[in-house]
Amino acid sequence: MTLRSLLRAAAAGALAATFGATAAAAQDPRLGRLDPGTRPLVAVVIDSARAAGLPTEPLVQRALEGATKGAPGPLIVSAVQRLAADLGRAREALGPGTTPPELEAGAAALRAGAGPAVLAQLRRARRQTIAVPLAVLTDLVAGGVPVDSAAAAVLALAARARDADLVEFRRSVERDIALGAPPTAATAAAAAAADARISQVNAGARENRPGRP
Amino acid sequence: MRGPARIAPAAPSAARPATSTRRAWTASVTAAWWLLGLRAPAAQLTGTVDVGVSTVHYDGFLPSGAAALTPVLRWDRPAGTLAASGTYLRFESGHRSLQGLLAGSFFTPPTARAWRGEFAASAGASRYLDFASFWHAVAGARLHILGAERGLWIGGTAGTTSYGTAPRPVIAADVGVWARLSEVTLRLAANHSQVGDTTYTDLESSALAGRGPVALEARLGARVWSRGGGRGVYGEGSATVWVGGRTGVVISGGRYATDPISGSITGRYLSAALRVRSAAPRHSFARYPVAPHARGADGASVLPAARLEVHADRNRAVRLVVRVASAALVEIAGDFTDWQPVSLSSAGASTWEVTLPVPSGVHRIDVRIDGGAWIVPAGTTRAPDDYGGDVGIFVVP
Repeated sequence: MTLRSLLRAAAAGALAATFGATAAAAQDPRLGRLDPGTRPLVAVVIDSARAAGLPTEPLVQRALEGATKGAPGPLIVSAVQRLAADLGRAREALGPGTTPPELEAGAAALRAGAGPAVLAQLRRARRQTIAVPLAVLTDLVAGGVPVDSAAAAVLALAARARDADLVEFRRSVERDIALGAPPTAATAAAAAAADARISQVNAGARENRPGRP
Repeated sequence: MRGPARIAPAAPSAARPATSTRRAWTASVTAAWWLLGLRAPAAQLTGTVDVGVSTVHYDGFLPSGAAALTPVLRWDRPAGTLAASGTYLRFESGHRSLQGLLAGSFFTPPTARAWRGEFAASAGASRYLDFASFWHAVAGARLHILGAERGLWIGGTAGTTSYGTAPRPVIAADVGVWARLSEVTLRLAANHSQVGDTTYTDLESSALAGRGPVALEARLGARVWSRGGGRGVYGEGSATVWVGGRTGVVISGGRYATDPISGSITGRYLSAALRVRSAAPRHSFARYPVAPHARGADGASVLPAARLEVHADRNRAVRLVVRVASAALVEIAGDFTDWQPVSLSSAGASTWEVTLPVPSGVHRIDVRIDGGAWIVPAGTTRAPDDYGGDVGIFVVP
């Protein structure tokens, strides 16, 4: 390849990127909050994600977060690229029909240490959306619960639990850990309690009582 | 009931079954070192080894320097925890002290509202020179009543302890409360113990605080009544700073009371130790259940603290409540506001709120007080934000 052809290819790429960036920026005026040097680079990443069938809203939000926090442009671009890659990994694990909130939660779970197999199991175990179960899984790991214990508990509840039950389950674990219970034991106990409540719901016999504080 | 990892050096008393003590200690050391070579595959079996130096002054003895080795092995199971620990002390004189402890606890699943049962047991022994050995074995139960940010418990313990060949019955009762206030978890407890013909009542308090790689703990107590167990005020403090994932520095010191159950006698100490643990946590997130004071979401230093409460409504409107000690202006920004600051309305003392349409799912949020730095509110999960700071994560069901 000659120098001239290299230059031609580079110019064409830059042109395409510029047009793509301009198009993306035009589609989403919120990107106007980014500085002129960063905007087209972020737009290219967003366009690539869109072309790949990934949700773009999380990417826009990540860029806006950087703008609000005054992050340097290269850092914003890098953060958006990293999230796009995480979303891609999450979709590989969860399948092509995954909703954007599920993909976003899946990306966070993967980054927290959950394996793709756990995500796939969760997908199979639950008919409804798995965004909240994934978020609870991520949260438990953040609270010090070993990934396998957290995954086992969430998987056990995922099939029957409502999102609100899962959020309450997470709160119970958090509080018990603060009380001094080992994270694994707190998770198991809260999962057992949540499972009992869910069974009562299914039997139509749930008491009308406030949830655990 | 004693925890498995006592900060203070072992008292120069304790221990017969000398052989069993030595075996238990040796097993503990071996297991801990074995663990240090692992990556903690399930993170349910963890170990630490402290290697350090102390200066200690037991009542009735001359002050002495000592080298200490303290392995701790902890096994978390879904239904409870088992921990084994040992302490080897070598004093300036060349004399050695050995102490070993095995402790376990089991929490029952909650059966009704906020009640929770706990069963625990511990057994230990210690030995110093040719003094008669101490050993003890006790078991207890507690009933916990849990609140959102506070709780209380009441419990009882029974068992036996022996100095030499004369076992003495142990009966104890304790009651306590705990609360989370801003960055600190506080506990206050009272216990009454009867060990043979020795009877005493202690009031104890403790404060725990931790952020990032630093953990601080302080204890203050008083033996307010005693027959044969001495009286007085005692207090201990410790600071642990993790340097890297598996290595930390522990500085501790203070004065502790005689414990007729385990055989430790009153002493003052100051210790510095290097702590190595079996494996670093595999996740990069960290939960901050209480409000952070220091580093903001943009890495800047901040003073005020805030706590976020999320109240989801059935019609998808979400009321976000921020509690902050004092402020003239409270703002939030998140992925549900396009990261544009939104001012909250004052809703009474220390309470600010706003109601917004926040869709179900995982969300990122930061809080700004009086135009200062963006901070991560307590009540969220703190995670790296890819911009050199942190962000709070919360879930809307």
